[in-house]
Amino acid sequence: MDLSRRDFFHIAAALGLGVPSLASAGSAAKRIDEVGLKDIYGFNARGNVTLLHICDMHAHLKPLYWREPSTLISAPNLTGTPGFLCGESFLKHYGMKGKTLDAYFDTFMNFDALAHKFGKMGGISHMKTLINHIKKERGADNVLLLDSGDTWQGTGVALKTGGEAIVKAQNYLGVDVMVGHWEFTYGKKRVKELIEMLNAKFIAQNVIGDDSFADDFEESIFEPYTIMERGGAKIGIIGQAFPFTSTANPKEFTQGWSFGLRLDTLQTYVDKLRKEEKVDCVVVLSHDGFSVDQEVARQVKGIDFILSGHTHDPSPQPTVINGTVIVIAGSHGKYIGRLDIDIQNHKVKGYEYKLIPVASNLIPADPEGEKLVKELYSPYDSELSEVLGITKNTLYKRDTFHSTFDQLINDSIIDTMDSDISFTPGYRWGTTVLEGDSITMDHVYDMTAITYPNVYTFELTGMHIRTLLEDIADNVFNANPLYQQGGDMSRLGGVTYEIRIGAPSGKRITNIMVGGKPLSDTKVYKVSSWGGNLQNAGSNLKEQLTRPVYDVTSAYIRRQKNVNISGNSNVKIMDYDCGCPKKGARGC
Amino acid sequence: MERRSFLKGFGAAAACAIAIPQVVSAADEKKNGGPNEMSYETAVSAITGGKALVASAKVKMEAPEIAENGAVVPVKITVDSPMSEKDYVKAIHVLASKNGNVRCANIYLTPANGEAYFGTRIKLGGTQDVVAIAEMSDGTFLSTKQNVKVTIGGCG
Repeated sequence: MDLSRRDFFHIAAALGLGVPSLASAGSAAKRIDEVGLKDIYGFNARGNVTLLHICDMHAHLKPLYWREPSTLISAPNLTGTPGFLCGESFLKHYGMKGKTLDAYFDTFMNFDALAHKFGKMGGISHMKTLINHIKKERGADNVLLLDSGDTWQGTGVALKTGGEAIVKAQNYLGVDVMVGHWEFTYGKKRVKELIEMLNAKFIAQNVIGDDSFADDFEESIFEPYTIMERGGAKIGIIGQAFPFTSTANPKEFTQGWSFGLRLDTLQTYVDKLRKEEKVDCVVVLSHDGFSVDQEVARQVKGIDFILSGHTHDPSPQPTVINGTVIVIAGSHGKYIGRLDIDIQNHKVKGYEYKLIPVASNLIPADPEGEKLVKELYSPYDSELSEVLGITKNTLYKRDTFHSTFDQLINDSIIDTMDSDISFTPGYRWGTTVLEGDSITMDHVYDMTAITYPNVYTFELTGMHIRTLLEDIADNVFNANPLYQQGGDMSRLGGVTYEIRIGAPSGKRITNIMVGGKPLSDTKVYKVSSWGGNLQNAGSNLKEQLTRPVYDVTSAYIRRQKNVNISGNSNVKIMDYDCGCPKKGARGC
Repeated sequence: MERRSFLKGFGAAAACAIAIPQVVSAADEKKNGGPNEMSYETAVSAITGGKALVASAKVKMEAPEIAENGAVVPVKITVDSPMSEKDYVKAIHVLASKNGNVRCANIYLTPANGEAYFGTRIKLGGTQDVVAIAEMSDGTFLSTKQNVKVTIGGCG
């Protein structure tokens, strides 16, 4: 392993491992003093309570590579602010240096080179070592592990076990409380079964029965909040499920449950926890998304901490709005956020936060976790480990308009279905395959493992396509975060277009070309899509072509053997000059 | 069903019944002159008789930011009023600013209602402002609005 001394001590200090456990004793400790890294990276323990926070693990039990975005653009008022920072603008905002371990975890820059140096990220057995260490340091009774959701879905092993493998992993990690989003795509019945298996509490204040014939009409489906005592303090935790689950994912999974932000009831619960339950600290465990939660902090009074999720942002420093401290801990198990809170006389007096990178080559694996992962994977190992092909360039997911693994999926769909256009979803979960590496079946599932995997092929007129693109663009680029849904733009195969992100709704997209020719409003196009509900807007559905996207993609890669996807985007951004603009600027 | 939840459901239904003595549905009004042909501005002036709307925090609307289903969007309106003989809400009007038929509901109240509250579900043809107008006993028209987005969805 090509690790520099500085990198090594960085990790050792971050863990507070007491260097002898990793390196030869004696001289090593001295070196830490010499370089002073303990001061820079060590955790300045504070107060009586520690909240450990994870979000958007997307069922990744094993370590993985995960490259952060190289394009992350929103409406002009939001671009360059926390939630819409990447690359250089991310480093500058948080005052960080490039080519460090933190820069490797937090940005796309020099990703492949740093990946060879620092290795994979996350993995439950490595997370567990870190959690155990902190529990030992702080006393297990003073620590809570809170999970902001998108945990049960995202890998082959999650899909094949109906989420059960992941619940076992959460129980192993010791999750105390969680909220949900993709969890709901297992359907109401399965969600309830999984909650039965889960040792953690599953809470949500914003999921309400809306079937007037059901017993739970107008009632909370889940416990809206829970109160936990840690370090002698009463901590009230309110759950916020993804507010737009029923629009972003098929309604059929949650028929009879109504979602929404429900900020009025959130305020009611905050007030109730303070006045009636007399808690010492109010925490919102949220899957709203980072920018939405900044708006929540502006509108709802009296929240001490929002532990956010959904938008996958690593945020090395908290964002504070109106006295509410907002943190978010990246995605895919890459990080654990550690929040130490000092609670005195029933009030929060102070806090200390650190986003700790789970560097799997450096944090030793917990043997019990290794055993569990092996057990959970063993029934599926032969299928999941199949090598389908080799990639010439890095395959990754993320970016606002285009990423290479999505293009590979679009290429697979157009090649298989012989369609003019393909739409694939702008989810932010998936995986990264380094240049020259093998693409396995497990990688394909990492990108596509959902409970509604079908690729549908149908017809849309040019006019419909234009309207749909504008509609989707407004969900991504609306200047009001409360009207966004927190994903990226749908990826298009067979199409190029130009976009003005700051233009009014309905007027953003121009110069749409299909197969190199201008889109004709009256022409009927053959369209394929998966992961959304576009097929409902189309006509003449070709049912005989309907197949799961993981089958379509894996078969295509097997045929190609050598995959060569260029990084060139099919979308031209007209009002920004680079992928990671600074606040208020066109450029970086 | 547990007794508690049964009573709660019953209570909610009863509250609605008290608050809605007379609901004139938009469909019923069709034969009386055709609000379908009205622009939003005409519909508002038909209610106010040309008086200006006063945006007021006394009128509170509860509606989703993004509709879960554009065909049945839940909207609740509460007007802060003592509902006394001297000072009460005479009517609550609900309008969808860009629907083909902009007028969704007109609810007429008296002090006997005790509370100026109305909840219903409206159909929205697309993303638009939903407007609530409270016709007050002193002849003023208070209003509030909220933009509700209707989308096919997509990301996540």
